Parts: sequence; structure tokens; C-alpha cells
Amino acid sequence: MSSLPMIPELLRQLMRKPATNLFPAKYLPPSVTEFLHSVASGKAHLTPPVKTPPKFRGKIEYQKDGCIGCGLCVKVCPSHAIELLPETKRIRIWVDQCIFCSQCTDMCPKGGLRMTDEFLLATEDRYEENLIVE
Amino acid sequence: MSEGEGKKAPYTLPIGPTHPALKEPVMFTFQMEGETIKDVDFAPGQTHRGIEWMGMRRNPVQIVHLTDRICGICGVVHTLSFCLAVEQIAEIEVPERADYIRVIVHELERVQSHLLWAGVAAHELGFDSLLHLTWRVREQAMDVIENITGNRVNYGIVQVGGVRRDITPEQHPLIEECLTTYEGLLSSLLDLFLDDRSIHMRCRDRGILTYDDAVHLCTVGPTSRASGVNMDLRQDYPYAAYGDLDVRAILPDQYAGETRGDVYDRIVVRLLEVGQSCGIIRQCLSEMPAGEITAEPKIAKLLAVCKKAHGEAIGRVEAPRGECLHYVRMDGKESPTSWKVKASSYSNLMSWIPMLRGEQIADIPIIVASIDPCLSCTDRVAVIRGGRRNILTKEELHRLSVEATRRLQA
Amino acid sequence: MIGSWELALIVLSAVIVTVYGIVVGLFLLGIDRKLAAHMQARVGPPIRQPFIDLRKLLIKENVVPDNAIAWIFNLAPVVALASSIVILLYLPIGSIYPPLGAYGDLILVMYLLTIPALCMVAGGFASGSPYASIGAQREMVTMIAYEFPLAIVVVAVAWRLAAAGIQDPFTLGSIAAHPIWSVAGPLGIVGGLLLLLVMAAVTPAELSRIPFDTQEAETELAGGLLVEYSGKNLAMFSLSQGVKTLVMAAIVVAIFIPWNISSLVLLPEGVALVADLLFFLGKVILVMFFSVSLVRVAMARFQINQVVSVFWIYLGLIGLVGLLLLMADAALPAAGVII
Ligand code: SF4
Ligand code: SF4
Repeated sequence: MSSLPMIPELLRQLMRKPATNLFPAKYLPPSVTEFLHSVASGKAHLTPPVKTPPKFRGKIEYQKDGCIGCGLCVKVCPSHAIELLPETKRIRIWVDQCIFCSQCTDMCPKGGLRMTDEFLLATEDRYEENLIVE
Repeated sequence: MSEGEGKKAPYTLPIGPTHPALKEPVMFTFQMEGETIKDVDFAPGQTHRGIEWMGMRRNPVQIVHLTDRICGICGVVHTLSFCLAVEQIAEIEVPERADYIRVIVHELERVQSHLLWAGVAAHELGFDSLLHLTWRVREQAMDVIENITGNRVNYGIVQVGGVRRDITPEQHPLIEECLTTYEGLLSSLLDLFLDDRSIHMRCRDRGILTYDDAVHLCTVGPTSRASGVNMDLRQDYPYAAYGDLDVRAILPDQYAGETRGDVYDRIVVRLLEVGQSCGIIRQCLSEMPAGEITAEPKIAKLLAVCKKAHGEAIGRVEAPRGECLHYVRMDGKESPTSWKVKASSYSNLMSWIPMLRGEQIADIPIIVASIDPCLSCTDRVAVIRGGRRNILTKEELHRLSVEATRRLQA
Repeated sequence: MIGSWELALIVLSAVIVTVYGIVVGLFLLGIDRKLAAHMQARVGPPIRQPFIDLRKLLIKENVVPDNAIAWIFNLAPVVALASSIVILLYLPIGSIYPPLGAYGDLILVMYLLTIPALCMVAGGFASGSPYASIGAQREMVTMIAYEFPLAIVVVAVAWRLAAAGIQDPFTLGSIAAHPIWSVAGPLGIVGGLLLLLVMAAVTPAELSRIPFDTQEAETELAGGLLVEYSGKNLAMFSLSQGVKTLVMAAIVVAIFIPWNISSLVLLPEGVALVADLLFFLGKVILVMFFSVSLVRVAMARFQINQVVSVFWIYLGLIGLVGLLLLMADAALPAAGVII
């Protein structure tokens, strides 16, 4: 099989386990929402996603208390995802706009911003409560 | 319909802007005779995103994250060449360690980009098993990149003045392991791609770009190297840490003993470059000096420095697809007055025409893919007036450019 | 003359074979996808996926392009499906004698095999799309290309059987009853193996699978022949694809591996029938694995001119050598007797 070097590799692979990570389930459920409901009620099992690496940049987390309202994070945010609320001297982050660059967390003098490893944020409503961090 | 007119009647075959043969939008019009391509024309500009316009309304620290997103595969080359330009203008000295980290990420990116391309090429030939195999082994490079930078695609590691994350000693074994895997895999990849009869039949002597054409059409990167042009920015105009490293341009005759400038040679060059990149990363890991990773850790200060800067500069980087170039002009304002991106594919697109002429329909996908076109990086302009697309002639374009320069000078 | 009782039996078995052919055909497509996926280190879709796809296609809109010739465009999938089922009626399935076995032979099957392909050509030309027209031209060229080696195989096997003094060598019944391996000597067996190789190469071409899928060539022609088909029409083409897969595998089984479990071990009658059917399915899957699934994941697609040269030059030559070996095999002992 020297002219078709792929064949031995394929036959070997046939005996091995596939490389696919079966997230969220082995086969796509007919309705993902329903599947998630039955996972929540313990009727189905969810295969966990691949683990995130140590420096992963997921959904942003904001510690309101330390914030001094300096607005530096607003100044460096490339996607204008942060809004400064002048009345309260606090910020509001629109996660649907955020591009997860972590520039604001590097910038904040008070260390009040942090990237978590939460990344399953897909939804149908961009103004959902989960996607607005205050 | 064409069926009544006999096999040899000429007809027009449109391919694009979206078509399975194309991974990104571009519009081809083929003049066909039977299965043979008589002539071909193409129209890019189908995916213009106006990213430069956005950049000219942001400060350099913000633009860095836009440049990350110019390309979905080269997450670092655009950022790097933009930063090189800004650093020249603002006279920022990048610490040596940062240069090495930049090179490591840059080369890891080349590894994953070339493997990605190899998979796409196999898919275009209808060889999906190779696509799955290369993309599967590519994951290891992606994992290492993710571990170093925090993200698979939009790395966000390079910042004006240096890099944002250090490579810790704990990460060294991880990178070494990845390199060992690829060095071990390389020979079997070469075997699977280059010794396969069916790939050989489909790629040898298809889509030939002669040395002269490669030079005249100003092609860059693996496309030109596969035609025997000894050219590589890392060797000719070293940037970052490349001056200290030993990099020689890869030419196809190093493997096959001859240069034909066909699709096959382009596979050879890219696969060999995977091995070369592994060597470079190894060298970096052992020679990387200790020290700071950025010239200015305080972003606010960095912004102030950039704001004061005056002048213009060009940043050039050898991307996986060839030379990538960013022109930046700063006039002491928050954001640059001008920012121009020339992605590597821009220089390579014209080589499609000599490659495709005289070939068959079946060769279109692989020849189009063989220059590894990245059109969303390339498309910089689309002229639409009153809902209609316009095509500007050279004269009009020249007149408009002169007017724009006058406006800028005023 | 056919009696009414016999006619009713034929109709009944035709209905059964139709249902059987469709279900098994789709099931085969599912297994093919699963095997291919596992070879590519993927999990792949569930085996019932072709049934899910079929259901989806049946509820989708059936679009007929404006510049298509509507009646040909709509007729082609029906005829393709019907003709591929008709072929099945001439083929032995397990130990069941083919319902129409008495009315046609291998030559007829060869002719019938061209009908689904011709339907696809007609449908492609009638689509009014340049991609489909190119696909249709390529399908015609491919047909002409593989018809020659296929004919060699059929003629060679039948000729060898005739030389061994077997009645009606072209009917599938007698081919299945007298496996070529038991008739031929050592030379003939080598020849038979070569013919098996040719047949294994004709199968993917007949089923338009990689490396001979130029007429559909996803990356070149975006589906070629079938590019304009959707909904019900596409469902019918995909059904006929399933049935054709079963047909091709059944032909290979009938010519080259016709043994049944019941002829090897003694079983009670009802059990034997089921065992034979299962054994037949096993053989069909085996044939499909080696000539379709494995080949289609292990190679790149040929160009159309390469398809022609592969079939006419390489496989044609292999087939002729096989034919010569079989002839020599028949002639040598005979010559020995004379000397
Ligand atoms: S992570 Fe980046 S995009 Fe998101 S809010 Fe912070 S600066 Fe803005
Ligand atoms: S940079 Fe930090 S302290 Fe300043 S406004 Fe943002 S979150 Fe608050």
C-alpha cells in the first residue's frame, strides 16, 4: 500500500476510539433547550466541555465595591462594551459587545475586573440579564 | 443551456462569491471550453469590513485588539506588524524577552496555519480523511497557544511595547512536548501527502507558477518560495528576535531536488515550514533571556507616549501566507491619522490567473486554495454608490488618492 | 404463460423486495457513514441518520428552477428509484430466489444498471444549471468508462461457466449456484481475483463515490448533477442511492461470494432463511466496506480524464488479463486431455 499510505492509518483508526469530544451529548439532541432541561432535572447526562486553560478569558466579572469610577477601562475597551454611569460612578458592561480581550482588567487600577472561565454564553437575547454585568 | 451545443462550445462558468470550492468569498468568472479553462477573471472585495475606519477612531492600545481580529487564523501577525510600526514611530524599545515570546507565538501560529491549510487542500481534493487527520493533530498547537495566550484564536498577547503574558517555566515542558509530537509527525505527514498516488496525480504539474511570473507578480511567502524565489522576511529583514535566530528560506528543491512551481511544491514548502518552525521555537526556548516582557507595563503611560508620537512607519512581518504589511501614521493625536493594512494574500491573488489558465475545472478548488488565500484579511475596499458596485480604474484611483492626500495635508 | 397465482406471487414479492431494498439501502448508507467517520477518528452521525435526512427532505419544499425542463426534472428521480428497485428483483437475496430471476439474466441487469445513471444525466441536463450540465456530461463519460471493464467481468465469468458445461451461464441463478471459485482451477482463481478487483473498482463509480465522484464533486461543482434538486425529488435520489448501493453489493455477492449459511451447515428451514438473510447482509456490508467506505476515505478525487484512463487502460487491462487467465484455465485441462 505504498502508493496509498493512508489505508493502514485508516484501518488502525477504525479500531481506536474517535477523537471527538462528545459535548454536550453523543448525538445532537433534537432540541438543545429541551435537552438542557432534562439535564437539569437529572434525566439526561451532559458530557462536559474540554477544560479551559489557566489564563482563559471568559465572561467578565466586576467587583463594584472597589471601583472608583475612574473610567480608564472605558478608555481602553476596543469594542465600547463598557459604559460609565455618571450618577453612581460605576460601570456597566454589555457582555454581548465584549470581545474578551481582557484589556480592561489589565488597566483597572483597583483590580476590580476579572475574566472568569465561563464561556457558554450563547443566547437569543443580547440584552439578557446574564449578559449585563453591573 | 449548453448541452445542445456540443462539448467544445465555449461557455461561462461563474464560481463564487460563495461556493464550496472557496472558503472565503471571491467572485470568479471562468471562460470555459469543455472542461478546460480558457481564461479567468476574479473580483475580490466581497467581504470588506471597514476595520481601518474603526481603527482610525481608536487609540493604539484598542487597535491592537482589532488587528487580532483581521484574520481568523493569523491572530498574531497583524498585531505584530501594527505594533512594530507604532513602536518605530513612538520610539519604544521592546525588551528582548518580549521579542522571543513574540517569535514563539508567531511560529506556533505558522504551524497551526500550515496544518490548517494542508487539511483544506486535502478537502479540496476530496480527501477528507487527511483533512480530519491534519486538523486533529493541529489541535495540539492550538492547545499550546491557548495555554500561553489564554485563547485559541484571538490571542491578545502582543501589545505595543511588548507582550501581555509571560511564558512561565511550567509551560516549557508543554511546548517541548508539542514540538516533539510535530517533529515526529512530520515524516508521516510528508509521507501521507507527498507519497500518495492520488494526491500526486492531482497536484504534480497543476497550477504552475513560473519563477518569472512569481517575481513579476510580486508574490510573497510560500507561494513565491514554491516557485523557487529565495525570499523570506525572517531571513532578509529580520524583525523581533529573528536576527539572533538561524532562519533560511525553505525551497521545494530541498525536498524533491527540483522546483516546478506547481501545487505539489506548495504542499512541500508548507509542510517543511512546519518542521522549520518547530526548530525555531526550540531555539527560542533555549536562548530566551530573562527580563521584562514589556517596555511600559502601565497602559495609561503607554497611551500618553503614543499620543505624543509623530511620524509614519511600516511594520512588516512574514505571515504564514507571506509578507504582511501595516502602514501607520500618527500626528500627535489619540488615534492614528492613517492606518493601512496589506495582508499577504493581496500580493498573491494575481498569481491565480497564470496558474488557472489551461487547467481543468477539477483543478479549480485546489489551485485556488494553493496560495492559501485569506480574503477577509485582504479586502480593504468596496465601492458602492446608490446600491451599485463600482469598479475604479487605475486613473480614478490615482486621482482619488491625490485628493485624499491633499485633504490630509490641509 | 404466467398463471394468475404466479403473477400475484411476483407482485407480492416485488412489494416486499421494494420495502426491503429501501430500508436496507438507507441502513447501508448509515453504516457507510459510520464506518467512514470512525476511520477518520470521528463519532459520526447515528446509523439511522439517512432515515432522519429522508424525513427532513420529505417535509422540505420541492423547488423546480425556472429554467428547468420541469417534466424531465421531476420524472428523473422517480424513474431512477423505480429502476434501481427493479434491478433488485433480478438479484438473489440470501437464499431467496429472485422474484423475476426466471425472466432476466446478468446482461439485462447490466442494461438496467445504466437507467438510474441515465436518469441522473437527464435530470442534470434538465436542471438548467451550468454545474448540473457539467455534472451530467461527466456522468455520461464515467458511464462509458466503467461499462467496458464491467462487461469484461460479466462476459468472463459467464464464459468460464459455459466452458465448464453449465446451463444458462448468464442467469444469476446459475452463477450463484456455481461459484466461479469451485468451477475454475488455480489459474482461473487468480483470474477471478483480478475480476473481483475490477468489480470492486466499478462499484464506487456506479455509486458516484470518491474517487470517481466527479459528477457530483462537492468542492468543484457543489453537488453537480444534484445541485438543483431539493425536497421530495432529492429524497428520491437519495433513496435510489441507497438501493443502488444494495444492488451493486448484491451483484458482487451473487457473482463472487454466493455461498449461503444453509448450504454450509444444516439448519431448520425457518431458521435457515433468516440466517441466510443475515449472512447475506453481512456479505453486503463487507463488500461495501472494502469497495466503497474504505476507498472513499483513502483517496483523493480523480479528474474526469483520469477516471477514463483508470477504467479503460488500467482496469481494462486487469480485466482482460483476468479474462485470459480464465480462458487459459478452461483451455489447459482440455488441451491436456487431447495430448
Ligand atoms: S474584555 Fe475587552 S472588550 Fe470586554 S469589556 Fe474588557 S476591554 Fe472591553
Ligand atoms: S478601571 Fe476599574 S476602577 Fe476604573 S472605572 Fe473601570 S472598573 Fe472602576
